[in-house]
Amino acid sequence: MEPLIEARGLTKRFGGIVAVNGLDLAVHPGELVGLIGPNGSGKTTTINMMTGHLRPSAGEVYVRGTRADGSPPSRFAALKVGRTFQITQLFSRMTLMENMLVPGLARPHSHRAEATRQARLHLDFLGLAKLETLQARHLSGGQQKLLELGRALMLDPDILFLDEPFAGVNPFLRDEIIALIQKLHADGRTFVIVDHDIEAIQRLVNRLVVMALGRKIADGAVDDVSHDPEVLRAYAGV
Amino acid sequence: MTGKQLRQAALLLVAAAVALAFPGMVNNYWLSVGITALFYAIVAASWALLVGYAGQFSFGQMAFVSMGAYTSGALARYLDVPIPLGILAGIALCALTGCGIGYICLRMRGPYLALFTVAFSEVFRIILVSEAEVTGGNGGLEIPPLFHTLSDKPYYYLFLALLAGTLILMGLLVRSRWGLFFRAIRENEDAAAAAGVKVVRFRLLAFMIAASFAGLAGGFFGHYVAILTPDIGSVDQMGLVVAMAVIGGAESLLAATAGAILVEFLLEALRAYSEWRLVLFAVVLLLTVRFARNGLLALAVQSAARLVRRRPAAVPAREPV
Repeated sequence: MEPLIEARGLTKRFGGIVAVNGLDLAVHPGELVGLIGPNGSGKTTTINMMTGHLRPSAGEVYVRGTRADGSPPSRFAALKVGRTFQITQLFSRMTLMENMLVPGLARPHSHRAEATRQARLHLDFLGLAKLETLQARHLSGGQQKLLELGRALMLDPDILFLDEPFAGVNPFLRDEIIALIQKLHADGRTFVIVDHDIEAIQRLVNRLVVMALGRKIADGAVDDVSHDPEVLRAYAGV
Repeated sequence: MTGKQLRQAALLLVAAAVALAFPGMVNNYWLSVGITALFYAIVAASWALLVGYAGQFSFGQMAFVSMGAYTSGALARYLDVPIPLGILAGIALCALTGCGIGYICLRMRGPYLALFTVAFSEVFRIILVSEAEVTGGNGGLEIPPLFHTLSDKPYYYLFLALLAGTLILMGLLVRSRWGLFFRAIRENEDAAAAAGVKVVRFRLLAFMIAASFAGLAGGFFGHYVAILTPDIGSVDQMGLVVAMAVIGGAESLLAATAGAILVEFLLEALRAYSEWRLVLFAVVLLLTVRFARNGLLALAVQSAARLVRRRPAAVPAREPV
């Protein structure tokens, strides 16, 4: 089966520092992949390159076989690649509905009435429907995470990169977000999730990719990877 | 219609009635102040569109005013081009230059963008001073007026119509999906890009549109004053426009417009106080930035609305008989 998104030899250098070094990563439709690694291992840089927010120093990114590296994020969005950010990035002084309408109306041939209907459906799914006229800056941290997820859903993405979706979220809301991701995955969406919350990641994903010092050091089923000696050494210093 | 919309409509109707009756109530001096205020109102609205809505902090609007005025003026003076065509040419040149400035500044934000546009304005002003054979330099360039009348009334109504047209067009723009994308870019460029907004395209569009409206204002104003000097595009003038928009409220087209009209009339009314009036406005500007970031007028309107809502009914409702 053709990968939904694929990185080949992806490399990013910042001056003398190699943040990502020759990474190969293919994600197939329907997968739920966890991308983990210690701080500074290159996870967010990888996501940034695979969604157009960073231009790779070397290597290629393919979306459904179409080369896309170096394209702006809007092209990745048009190719149905959605993402959220490590530090939540909202349109703070715009209402929840306006936050949702931006991606809804950025899609080609979109209509406001249909985009509004979709936005209401997603806000309802996320439990934010009653707040649609509120400015995003008034939401709690957890609600902001949910709104960011909702905004990404407005792209009707085939694949979603979630960068630390559980960071700064209380355990109750974390479980709620896990349930939402599981529902969306069951509906056929593909996910790549980056997080430090190993317990949450292990509960959620069916494939784990581990990075250390810019390289992929393990890739496979959760049980296999979590007992890999190199992973234990790199991740826990064991 | 909601109560807020009704209040806004009523306020606009009163403002329109006062504006239409204004020439009949004042002498020619205050009429010319009114025309200048309307000119600044268009420029302040264009700055509010670029800065307040699209978040691109630029000091270049008065340079575009100057570009529009000199283009149309020089075409009319040297090549006998009909004035409306000259003004259109000025607008087109401003749009192209605005697009170019926007493109060069794509990677610039905040103070860097502001400094770049200050430098652009100064370079353009110095070119106008230096190329005196064509521009007249500091001595000024005489250009044909738009109307050959003794009264300024035709100019007043022309600028009133231009302001109304500008506000209607800009109002439609900010309520459209383009306006939504402008505000998204202002709030967070990375998030806007991730949401599928073509950030480069819309940043360029914001620069182009704002520069075009400034060029439009400059083109008409040039043919009103009929003598152009490079100072029209100076940083001082730009500072005045910024003060007008900020005091009114840079994130609202109507508030920025009202700010421009208010400040221009107050500047004239306080002329007896010479330079002290500028000190006064500087203090008002500082207080506005510190305590009312959405502008004094926006704050005043909100406070008035709050007061109206809180006021108890003067006459208690009668019990049904």
